Parts: sequence; C-alpha cells; structure tokens
Amino acid sequence: MISPIHILTIGLGGAFALGFVPKKAKDAAAVLMLAAIALMGVLTGSWLIGLINGESAQQIFTAGFKPPFSINLLMGLNESVLTTAVNFIGLLGGIYLYRNLKEAGNHAVMVFLIFIMGLNVVIMTRDIFNLFVFLEIVSIATAGLVILTESGKSIQAGFKYMLATGIISGVLLLGIIFAYYYSGTLNIDGLTAANIGALKGGSVALLLIMVSIILELKSFPANGWGLDIYEGSNAGIGAMLSAATATAMYFVLSKLLEMAGSEWNYWVALIGAVSFVGSNVLALKQRIAKRLLGYSSIGQIGLLMIILGFKDVLGDNTPYVAFGILFSHYFAKAGLFWLAGIVKQNDIANWAVIRKKPYFLFLMGTFIFALIGFPPFPSFFAKWELVMELVNTGNLPWVVAILFGSMMEAVYLFRWFGYAIKGENENIEDFKIEWNKILPVGIVAIALYVTGYFTSQHTDAGAAINWIPLFFVAAIFILDFLPVFIKNTIAIIGMAFYFYTIYPDLDNLRLVFEAIFMIGGILTLIAGYAYKGTRPGFYPVALLMYAGLTTIIEAQNTLQFFFGWELMTAGSYFLIIRGKRSMPHGLSYMLFSVGGAYALLMGLGMAFAGQGSYDMSIINSISYIPYWAYGLLIVGFLTKTAALGLHIWLPGAHGEAESDVSPMVSAILLKAGVFGIVLTLIGMGGENNAYPWLPYALGWLGAITAFSGNLMAVFQEDAKRLLAYSSIGQLGYIVLGFAMMSHLGWLGGFSYVVNHFLYKAVLFLTIGAVVLRVKTHNMYEMGGLIKRMPLAFTAVMIGIIALSGVPPLSGFAGKWLFYNAILEKGWYLQGAIMFFSGGIAFMYLWRLIHTIFLGQLKDNHRNVKEISIWFLIPIYTLLAGIMVYSVKPQWVLQPLGDIVAQWFPDGQLTWDGGTAFTKYGHWAGTAVAVTIIAAFLVVTALLMISTRKAHKVKQFDITYSGERPERPETTHVAYNVFEGLYQAMWVATIPLVEKWWNKVSDFLHDTAGIVRRIYSGNGQSYVIHIVLFIIVTYFVIIGG
Amino acid sequence: MEYITITTGFLIILAGLWAIMTRKNLIRIIIGFSLFDTGIHIVMVSMAFVKGGVAPILDKKELLTDTAHKIVDPVPQALVLTAIVIGLGVTALMLAYAMRLHQEKKSLDIESFKDLKW
Amino acid sequence: MTIAKLGYTLLGLFIVWNWGFLMGAIFRKIGARVSGRIGIPFYQPWINFFKSVGVRTTITHGVMYYLGPVFRLTGGIGLLFFMPLIYTGDPNGMWTNFSFEGDLILILYFQLFGMLGMAMGAGEGGHPYSAMGIARGLAQHAAVELPLTLAILSIAIQYDTFSMYKIVEAQQGGFQNWVLFTNPFAAGAIILAMLGAMGHSPFNLVKAPNEILIGPATEYEGTYLGFMQSAGSILHVMEAVLFMNLVFGGATSWPELIVKTFLIYFWSVFVGMVFPRYKIEQSITWFFKVPLVLGVLAIIVFSF
Repeated sequence: MISPIHILTIGLGGAFALGFVPKKAKDAAAVLMLAAIALMGVLTGSWLIGLINGESAQQIFTAGFKPPFSINLLMGLNESVLTTAVNFIGLLGGIYLYRNLKEAGNHAVMVFLIFIMGLNVVIMTRDIFNLFVFLEIVSIATAGLVILTESGKSIQAGFKYMLATGIISGVLLLGIIFAYYYSGTLNIDGLTAANIGALKGGSVALLLIMVSIILELKSFPANGWGLDIYEGSNAGIGAMLSAATATAMYFVLSKLLEMAGSEWNYWVALIGAVSFVGSNVLALKQRIAKRLLGYSSIGQIGLLMIILGFKDVLGDNTPYVAFGILFSHYFAKAGLFWLAGIVKQNDIANWAVIRKKPYFLFLMGTFIFALIGFPPFPSFFAKWELVMELVNTGNLPWVVAILFGSMMEAVYLFRWFGYAIKGENENIEDFKIEWNKILPVGIVAIALYVTGYFTSQHTDAGAAINWIPLFFVAAIFILDFLPVFIKNTIAIIGMAFYFYTIYPDLDNLRLVFEAIFMIGGILTLIAGYAYKGTRPGFYPVALLMYAGLTTIIEAQNTLQFFFGWELMTAGSYFLIIRGKRSMPHGLSYMLFSVGGAYALLMGLGMAFAGQGSYDMSIINSISYIPYWAYGLLIVGFLTKTAALGLHIWLPGAHGEAESDVSPMVSAILLKAGVFGIVLTLIGMGGENNAYPWLPYALGWLGAITAFSGNLMAVFQEDAKRLLAYSSIGQLGYIVLGFAMMSHLGWLGGFSYVVNHFLYKAVLFLTIGAVVLRVKTHNMYEMGGLIKRMPLAFTAVMIGIIALSGVPPLSGFAGKWLFYNAILEKGWYLQGAIMFFSGGIAFMYLWRLIHTIFLGQLKDNHRNVKEISIWFLIPIYTLLAGIMVYSVKPQWVLQPLGDIVAQWFPDGQLTWDGGTAFTKYGHWAGTAVAVTIIAAFLVVTALLMISTRKAHKVKQFDITYSGERPERPETTHVAYNVFEGLYQAMWVATIPLVEKWWNKVSDFLHDTAGIVRRIYSGNGQSYVIHIVLFIIVTYFVIIGG
Repeated sequence: MEYITITTGFLIILAGLWAIMTRKNLIRIIIGFSLFDTGIHIVMVSMAFVKGGVAPILDKKELLTDTAHKIVDPVPQALVLTAIVIGLGVTALMLAYAMRLHQEKKSLDIESFKDLKW
Repeated sequence: MTIAKLGYTLLGLFIVWNWGFLMGAIFRKIGARVSGRIGIPFYQPWINFFKSVGVRTTITHGVMYYLGPVFRLTGGIGLLFFMPLIYTGDPNGMWTNFSFEGDLILILYFQLFGMLGMAMGAGEGGHPYSAMGIARGLAQHAAVELPLTLAILSIAIQYDTFSMYKIVEAQQGGFQNWVLFTNPFAAGAIILAMLGAMGHSPFNLVKAPNEILIGPATEYEGTYLGFMQSAGSILHVMEAVLFMNLVFGGATSWPELIVKTFLIYFWSVFVGMVFPRYKIEQSITWFFKVPLVLGVLAIIVFSF
C-alpha cells in the first residue's frame, strides 16, 4: 500500500512539473494535471479497497517526529472514502473544465491541482495547525479558481470570498493558538485526550475553532459571501465548491466535533437546523439558477450538520445516514452545477431550453429528485433512517424542522424543474454540447442510481425492496425510441404478466386494490394505441407510477411502502405535467404530495418508535403518541385523495392532463390514498378503536369534501375540470364511508371504490377521447355530438347514470349502503350533506351530457369522427363491468363483504338469493334491474309502434323567439347555465382553501424577500455578519 | 511587561477589524487585514513566551535539563512563520483582486461592487 | 311473483293513471274558477291524451329525443311498481306491488330515473327552453332534496327502518299515530318540500306554463307528449302517495288513497293559487330556510 503522504508528492510534484511544461503545450499541461489527479484517486481508491477488505488504518508522522513537532495524517476508512470522492469529482471536474483550464494556462492548471491536493490533506490531517495551513491553501486556490472565467461578477465574488475567509481563518488561527496554549498539543487526538473543552480557557479556544469551521461551511445567516461565490464563479468551480470543498469541510467538522465533545453536538445540530430551514426559505424568492443551487447547497450542509449533531442518537447508523445525504448532494449538486454551465441560462424560467435535448431533462430530473430525497436515490434511504431514528428518540421538533426545510427545498427545486419541463422555450437559443462537459454529468447521474441501489441493500428493510418493476421501467426508458405500438404492447404484456405472477400472494383486500391498479392500468394503456409516433417519455413515467402502486400493495415493511409511495408520486407527477398548461398544477400536485409524504414519514416514524420494527404490522399497534401518529398518516393519505383543504392541486392536474392520463390519475391513482386510509383505519383497530375523534373528524371532512367537490363541479365550463371536481366529491363519499368504521360503511366505501374506478375511468376516457377529436375542453364549444359519436354518447350516458346512483345501475348500491350505514352509525347530518351532494351531482352530470352531446351541433364539428376505437375498447370493457355489477350486485358485494367482515364482523348484509337485507331495509338488485328493464322495453315498444312514421327533422327545425335559429352558438344553452343556483349558493363557492394556501405561500415568499436583503452584496456587511455570528454564538454557547 | 505584547496584539487585531468593517476604500480594507494578521501573529508569539526564557536554541548545557521552563516554546514561533507566509500570500492576492476591481469599475469604493446580492 | 300480483299491479297502474288525469282536470278547473273562468271539462286530459297519441304525423330529433318520454314513463311506472299503494296488513299483499324488491331508498332514487332520462331526451331537441327548464329543474330539485332527505332520515330513525311498508304499518291505528303528529318537524319539512317536488306555483319556473309549455317538454308532440302526459299523471299521484305513506298514515283502501292524495295534491295547488312564481334562486333559498331548519330539528329531536 502506497503511503498517503504521496498524495502530497503527486500534487506538489505535479505542480512543479507543470512549471516545466512549455506554455504553448496547453493540452499537455491539462492532461498532466488530470493524470496527477487520477493518480491521487488511484492511491486513495486502493486504500479504500484495502480498508474495506480489512486492512488497518494508517497514521503517518512526517519527519519521524511525534506531534506537535510533526504533521500527522490519518488514512482510515472514512478518510479513504472521502478522499476518493474528492479525487473522483476532481477528475470529473477537471475533465469538465478541460477547455477553460487549458485556455487559462499552466498556472490555472496548477492551482486546480493544488486545490484538489489541499482538500485531500484537509480530510486526512490530524493536526489543527496543519489543517489551518491547508485550509488556507484551499482558500487561496479557490480565490484563484473563482476568476478562472473572468467576469466582473466573479472578481467581486472572489474578493468578498477573500474578505470572509480571511476573517474566518484569522479566528481559526487564534483558536488554534489558544488551544495549544492551554493543552500543549496541536494534534486532534491529543486535544481530544486533553478534553480541551473542559480546560480553563479551553472552551474559548474550542469555540473559536468550531465557529470558524462552521462558518467555513457557510452557515446561515453569515453566508452571503458563499452565495456570491456560487453565483459568480464558473459553474465548474461551483460544482467543485459544492461537491468537493463542502464534503471535505464537513468531514473536518466531524473530526473536530469528536474533539469538542458531546456538548457541542447540540449546538452543531441547532446551527445546522437554522441553516437548513433559513437557507431553504430564503431560496424561495431566488430565480438565478446558480445562486439557487448555492442556497440549496448551504441548506444541505445544514442538514448534514444536524445529522452530525445527532451522531450519538444515530449511533452506528451515523455514517450510513450522513453518507447517504452527503453523496446524494455530492453527485446531484455537482451535476446540477455542471448542467448550469452547459445550459448557460441564469434565469430559471429560461431553463425551458433544456428540453430541446430531452436527455438533459432526464439528467436534471435525476439530480433534483435525488436532492429532494426521492427513491431510488441514497438520500431517500438516509432521510428515512434519519427521521425514523429521530422520531424514535422523541426529537420531534427536529424532525419537523427537517421536513419543513425539505419542503421548502422541494418548492423551489420543483418550480425550477417545472420551468424546465413546461416553460416557454421557443425564443431561447439552444445550447451547445461539448463532450467533455456531458461525460461528467452522465457519470454522476449513473452513480446516483448505482449508489442508490447499494444504499438500499445496506438495511434489511431496504434489501426487501422488489426492484423488478423499477428495472422494467428502466428497460422501457431505454427503449423509448421505439414507436408507441411496440412500447404499449410491451407495457401491457409486462403489467399483465406481473399481475399474473403476484396475485396469488395477495390477501383479498390487497387484491381488490391491485386489481384496480393493474387491470385499470392495462385498460387505460390500451387507449394509448390511439397515439401516433413515439410519444417520448410517456411509457417510462406511466410505468413508474404503476411500479409505485404495485410496490405499495406488495409492501411487507413500511420502508417498502414509502418507497412505492414516492415512486408513485414521482411517476404521477411526470404524467400530470405532460399535459398542456399543466406547469402550475404539476407543481402544486408535487408540493402537496411531498407534504403528504412527509406527514406519512413522521407517522411511520411514530409507528416505528417503541416497536423497533419496520414490518407493516406495526401500524396495527402504534404505541407512541398514537393519536398523532394515526392523524399524520391519515393527513398524508388525504393529500392523495384530495380531501377538502388538500385538494387544490387536483382540478388543474387532472383537468389539464392528457386524455388517457386523466383516467389513470383519477380513476386509479386516487385509490392509492384510499388504500392508505384503509390500512390506517384497520391499524387503529376497527370498530372499537381507541381514537374515536379521528374517524369522526374524517367523516365530517369527507361529507364536506363531497359537498364542495360536487358544487364546484357544477360551475365548471371545462369538461375535464368538471370531472376532476367530481372526483374530489366522490372521494369525499369514500372517505366518509370508511370513516364510519362499521361493516356497512366500509362496504359502502368499497362499493364506491370499485364504482368510482369503473365510471370515472369510462367518463374520463370518453371525454378525453372527445377532446382529442374536437380540440377543446370547453363544453360550451361543443354540443350535439350525439349525432357524430353515438358510441361515446352511450358510454357517457351509462357512466353518468351509474355515477348518479339512480337504479338500476351500480351506483345505487353505494347509495343504498350509505343510507343504511348512516342510519346505523347515527351520523345523520353528515349523511344528509352527502345525499344533498348527490342531488347536486345531478346538475353537473346533466351538464356533462347535455352540453357536449345534446343541443346544437357546432359548424366546425360537423365532420368529426366517432372517438378512436382504442378508446372504445377499454370504455366498453369497463361498461360491461358496470353492467355486470348492476345486474348482479351480489357478485361484487358478497366478496367485498367477506373482506370487510375480517375487521367488522357485526352488521353484515344478509343475502337471500339476489336480495340483500340490512336490519333497516332490503334491496333486490337483480329483480329491480329486471323490472325496470322490462318496463323500459315495453314502453319503448309502445312508442316505437306509435311513432314508426315519425318524420326525422334537421338540426334547426325548431322555433325559438319567433324565428327558426340558424346559428348553433346562439341556440345552444351551454354557458353558465346554473346561474340561478350560483346566485343562491355563491357563498359556498368562495375558494377559501385556495386563498388560505395562497396566503401561506405569499407569507413565506414575502418573508424570504425581506430577510434575504441582509445579503446586501457589500463585502463589509458579510464581514460584519461573520463577526456578529461569532459574538452571538459566544454568548449563547459560553454564556455572558 | 509580559501582558503588554499580548494586549498590543489584541488591540491591533481590533484595529484591523475596525478598518475592515468600516473603511470603504479597498486598499484600506486590505491594510486592515494586514493589521488583523499581524495582531494575531503578535498574540501567538506572546502567548508562547515563558518568563525569563531564552530563545529555543539548545546551545548551552544547562538548557538540556528542565528545558521547557527555560526556553520559550518553539512551536508557536514556527507556526507564526507559516502564518506570516500565508498572510503575505493572502494580502498579495487581495491586492491583485483590488487591482482588477479597480480596472473594472474605476473605483476603489467597496460599495460599488454589489452586483451580486440577495 | 305471481301472475296475479302482476295483474293487481297493472290494475293499480291503470287506476292511478286515470286518477291522475281526473285530479289534474279538477285542479285546472279550480284554477280557472279562482281566476274567474269556466275552465275545462273534467274529461279534457283524456281528450288531450287520445288526441296526442292519435296524431298521424310526428317528428323525431333522434334516438335520445325518442327515449326521453320512455325514460319518463318508465320512471313513473317503476315508481308505482316499487311503492306499496295500499296497506292490507300483508307485506306481500295485493296492492304492495313490487315493493319487496326494494325499500324507501330505492323509491327516492328511482324518482330521478325519469327526470334524468327526460333531461337527456329533451336536450336532443336542441330547443333552448328545454335546456333552461332542465337546468332550473335540477337546481330546484337539489334544493328540495336537502330538507326532504333530513326528514326522511328522521322518519327512518323514528321507526328504525327504511321499509316503506313498515313505516306505513307503524302509522296504523288512528291519525294520532301518523308521522304528522308523532314527528311534526319531519312532517313539516316534508310538507314544505313537497311543494317543490310537485312543481306547482310558486315552484313551477321549471315548466313555466303560460299559454304554451316553456320548459323541458317544449319540443314534444304526438305520442311523445301523450306518454309524457301519462307519466305526469302517474308521477303526480305517486308523489302524493309517497308523502301519504311517509307522513299521513298511508291508505288502507282505494277511497282512502283517493281522498288523501287529493288533499295532498290540493295543498300544493292551493299554495300555487295564492303565491306567484318564484325565480329559481329565490326558490332555492326558500328551501334553505324554514324547510331546512325543520329538517335539522327533526334529526336533532330523534338523534338523542
């Protein structure tokens, strides 16, 4: 094994050698530098491999003396990992900056090499004065590199950087000399042994050292200089600062924290939390990409500081958690900075240009999802472990801070990503591709996935994750260039086969939901055959959503469940944002989903607390503040079912989505939330649960959601938004049903789950297909389409009758069960609100069919064709389902009843043939259907006989206002038809919820806008911040 | 007597800080930095001072016994040398920066360089 | 189900159909007299009906237009099928029709069958009046639904059943057992909501009858209109029967049924004679005031 001291040899030797390279041989200089960095990487890498394979760590003393008379370095496992990481990113960064370094000449190349070498030593050193020296080397090198590509901004940033680091290193030096004075050693281990913090005067020395390292990590709010340097310097340098320097400095902090003793843990965590939350809040107002990344970097370091501060709590898991977050940040932030250098757009709105090269969009998405902590990236697993442990030890305020900060980070990162996916990009000049710049970006992106996989394998819960669906998604992603027909077929066969293989392993409850997800998925995918071309990007994300959904169903432990939940969120986000004008809705969907996911995470953490297991069954026996735990779980799931208050994302998201996506996200995806609620309610203990207020509140929430959703649907002019609001209402029924916690309530809930899946899929597919033909969502621009698309009309007619609950179609089953359940439960007022909502539903249902299919056909639709056969196939398959359910309700309700009876054995339906009995009433579904159909046929026959010679009239053969109309627009009563209702009920349509969330958003943004003015841009004020930071920490930590 | 140097050192540090935080001229700020560094260096050597100690050169026999109390600590002196060198480098780089800044805006007022903010 | 049962049911249908016509004629007559006219002969509805189904020329706007009256009439007939008409002490007795197939909830929701079908059928005619009428009708119906639902829930709580038959059974043995007296709040709510359900003035903006019908049925003529007249007559009686069964003790014989439905019907006509027509937003808010309060009171009284 080569001694690590040779890193210095290589670095310094390389730098000297560079001096001999002729000035004109620019390539030679750059190649020599890369070779030197690669050599350092090989050296540290070989140590890494060696240490993993059980070799022992090596302590190096220079010149044969013991400290303090020599510099000593340590090469342990952590050091080898981090130096390898620094050298790796240094090599990639060098490749990325190849041209810039070459242009800048041999000196710049030299500085870059010394910079990387300096970081290596900073990581390895065990001597605080040596640390100071190499920190200064790194600082000076950084100050040099900042002006690698010179501009006014970079020079200013560099000068401010020098001012700030000058003060910080002065303070560090003072701290070091005090420490030496009081302890007589400069060796970190010696200082640890001497327990420097406890010595007389040592606490001040320690404070100065710690604070200066914390300041070097750009802690909020004394970090204006850091932001400036991220913004002002070349993106390639920004990547180095964020990935390499921050990584090294973080390790320095962890080394020194061991020396400082455990009483410092709290302060480090506190400063980290302030940094994490503060930085992420202030970033909300930021629109300059690189500065935004700077804020994010500072935030992430804050999070890492929290982890470090909790190392005693996390115990053996500390490296796992810290490395998980650190490496996600390290790869993702480097990647994003590099992308910023490739895209060359300052304003985040102009990043729309990135999708002119779609694979770059994929890279950007990878990095952003990794930063937020989505699966399958390491940060997901690390954050999971972190939250679980923190909740387990009762550190709830810290968890809240972490999740709040993460939420803010999600806001600005997803806003940025939204611009990239959906922003206007026609007038923005395309960016150029240089291979040396793409290569590093690609490598870090792949590295994120690979490290993610290996991170998951580290824990038992993570190793249980089934990666097959995800690999299938990856395969489809690779095949994305193929035409729709082939991909669609592969997707359908894949899903069908997967469903076939796993369904025997599922219990009945899960089977119901899995069937909705998978069969529904296959049916909606069939509609995809209607699309031409390759439909880039659609199949990977659709399958990602289904992969998530099936993972939720199959989950054996809570980590798997959460993993699937987040995959599903990511997939559905991409699906939703594919629609036109969907940018703001995609963002709000994502934010509510992320917020909901964090509520889930906390809830699952509480479930874990005290039980020490991740098995799914822990939900059934939460003992740690169970009221909160179940409440949080329910709130988390309610974000997906779009309960009132958490619903504002849904209308836009579902309304603007593509024609076959709307049914996926409405009929299918919403059921994931329902599944979660069902699991939670089962966990609470069913009928005689100990938390009566939760279902009670949930019941009211469901009823009010049903009312508001339906009422809002009535006033929509956009057909798909109407259906979207209708979904909100329907999910309100479902929530109310399950909240009743009785056999009938649950059976009613399940009945609605199945029904809503069937008819909402029919309606969304049909309306979506109609929209594809008529090219508008506005109902008043349609009309009379029954003449052009009778099959679509029939489908919608059956769909709305089923939805309305009018017998004999299947919707009545739900209504009947609900009436009985309400009476049994005694929730009369909630029930009355719900049934009133049913009455309101009639209005939008009629509107849907009348305004689109009846009334007057518009001139520009005279030649539209019937909707595509590929839509009709799934639609009529689903209609067949509705019909079977309608005529033979016992075929559906009996098995569902058996499922529900597992938890609610009392009050079951009794069946006598086709007649169902409750203690209140009875209903013979088949007989009713037969009776009505018979009467219907008889009457039809009579009318047909009587009017067999009826004269078929044309469209305008009516008289109105004393004339025969000739323009459909003036005759089709379609716009704002429920004006009377609006005048009576406008109070209930005030969007209070939306206003509330807007207020919250405005408040946060305004706060950010005001507070961030402390970063005045003046280097002196940054110095003042630093000095104040030191003074404040002195008084807070040491005391007056 | 032994406190005079250390007090002076701290006073110089404060003077330097005062210059860095209040002067608007870049050159004055950089001079402030030099003062700040120098103050720290003085503090360093004076802390290593041992009353009655001599320079840490072991050229006399009596110094070989009970050495630590007879000579001043050599380590801080070595450290100070390094620190001075580093301080010099930093000052030089700052001056170079000041030159570039002046080329850019024809001004040495730190208030003129606020293009990056918020 | 025996053939006899079907026979009784169809006989009941026939009686109700005729009674509906007669009742309609009587009230048009009353209306005329109130406003100082002589009015129509009592057999006018039959004349109208036979004239309608007898016309030689009819038009059609399309399939759904065609199906509108079918839905409507099926709705009326079905409502009769699922409703026990006369209480005989036997839950499967001869005038209970097919009510063994479902309970009160089935009736409540099946009421909407004709309405929905009619709404769709009239729409295909493309006449603006149809659409306006339906939009108003649906809005008003939703408003009626709220107090009605509360009242019906209250009655269901009171008797612990949704079975129409059992509700009627429980009210036997004297008028003091009627819901009208045992549950006055629910009865009040129903009596007021009934005005909306019947669709007479002041709640008749849906059809807005003037010289000619301005509403959903505008475009209908011939047999279509005949079917709709029939459906109208059946539905009127059946609405009255529903309220009779719910509030007024049901009927134990045909004469009792005739008298009670007549009085129930008279109530809405009486109100209609006195009060002018509401605009739709006025009628909606009207149902959200006294009827709603009564409905909530009815629930509160019986939920403790």
